[in-house]
Amino acid sequence: MADFVMEARHVYKTYGRKNAKKTKQANGDTSDGAKHVVEAVKDVSLQIKKGDIKLIFGPSGSGKSTFLRCLAMLDIPDKGEIYLGDECLTKPGVDLNKARARIGFVFQHIYLFRHLTALGNVELALRQVLKLPKEEARKRALAALAEVKVTDCANKFPAQMSGGQAQRVGIARALARNPDIILLDEPTSALDPELTGEVIDTLRDLAREGTTMLIVSHEMPFARDVAEEMIFYDEGRIVETGPPSQFFNAPNTDRAKQFMTRIINRTTRE
Amino acid sequence: MDVWQELIILLEGVPLTLSISIVSFLIGIVVGLPFAFIRVYEKEIGFVVDAYEKIFRGIPEIVLLLLFYFGLGPYFPSTFGNAFFTAAFVLGLRSGANQSQIYRGAIRGVGDEQMIAGMSIGLSKWRAIWHIMIPQVFTFSTSGLGSEYALLIKDSAYVYVIGGLAELMKRAIELKYSAADVVTPFVISALLYILLTFPIAFWLDRWGNRRKKKIGL
Repeated sequence: MADFVMEARHVYKTYGRKNAKKTKQANGDTSDGAKHVVEAVKDVSLQIKKGDIKLIFGPSGSGKSTFLRCLAMLDIPDKGEIYLGDECLTKPGVDLNKARARIGFVFQHIYLFRHLTALGNVELALRQVLKLPKEEARKRALAALAEVKVTDCANKFPAQMSGGQAQRVGIARALARNPDIILLDEPTSALDPELTGEVIDTLRDLAREGTTMLIVSHEMPFARDVAEEMIFYDEGRIVETGPPSQFFNAPNTDRAKQFMTRIINRTTRE
Repeated sequence: MDVWQELIILLEGVPLTLSISIVSFLIGIVVGLPFAFIRVYEKEIGFVVDAYEKIFRGIPEIVLLLLFYFGLGPYFPSTFGNAFFTAAFVLGLRSGANQSQIYRGAIRGVGDEQMIAGMSIGLSKWRAIWHIMIPQVFTFSTSGLGSEYALLIKDSAYVYVIGGLAELMKRAIELKYSAADVVTPFVISALLYILLTFPIAFWLDRWGNRRKKKIGL
């Protein structure tokens, strides 16, 4: 057995800006394209054990989401290795679809399947990926919806739900197939402030049940209560790692100190 | 010959006009849908789709019909020698080229995020296309498909050039001679064409809008 549920080893991901060509022409700069390239992930390594709850935070645009997508192989890293248990996902020839079935992913902008009801959204992977019989898939989907307390939305379409309900269905969709780990990409930041609470409560429930989670989030009270480890991420790198107490009392790096000051002031003002 | 007799003769051409159009429409779906996805998601071979679209959208179907029927018909009597086959083939592939463009726009409208969400739950690319993209793409395309269907009904009139199919237009032209009446057959067929196109296009559009509203597209 591998020691880790998921592991990233020296992962790099760079992508060119979409308007690279235009900028180039406008600048009249033809020397090199380097400045038009975003280095979202630069030599990032991370290990997650079963039952771990880790939280990544840092300024927007620093590459947190790209890193999370790399872990789920929704973005393919340029360099480095991603392991899911014993399996190296970055090796050529790996069945990524099978691997992704073992990774739950929750999106910032939710991305529920718009043509399916909440139940349909959760059922799809159970039926088409796990190939469960109809009855069993339905039972498990309903159980997942109940777990995140949106049973009353089962037959509603995403457009008919509130943001908080939709995101909880999104969590149920990720949860229903019992993945080895759930990756959550700013699950509350696209929601109205008064709706974040219900999603945070859901995450607290999952944490209590020992779900392995890697969460990108700036919900600091939640981080303090739930995270075992916080990871400060900036400019494509992990700058500082430590328990919440370290970040809330005295971060080691100036950059983290600055960021914490700003974010805590913002939270208390609200 | 009175108007009623003419009407009956023309009405008898309606099933054939409808079946040419509907079969072509279905061929258009079968060809256009995969081609649209190839164009968006398999960029390396997208040029094949491009070439196909340019050929079938760039050449008037009357030319295509004559070319396939009289050009290839003698060599392939069981296929292009058959008027219905040639009509459905030409109109179907032309429609496929149009529909491919309609679906391509719809794929963009549905958005890549839906694909990514589909892959995040463990579906392969083509299974995500099947289970997640296609149902939404159809909803998104209804008004375009309504126009395309209307176009096919109208363009089925060109089929008269290859003869052999007694559809609406062919009958109207024959009536012009046999009934020695230049106007009535064309007025009646004009009305019939409107009846064949308008309600279905209208219904498709309305159904699509309702559905779009429901799923928030």
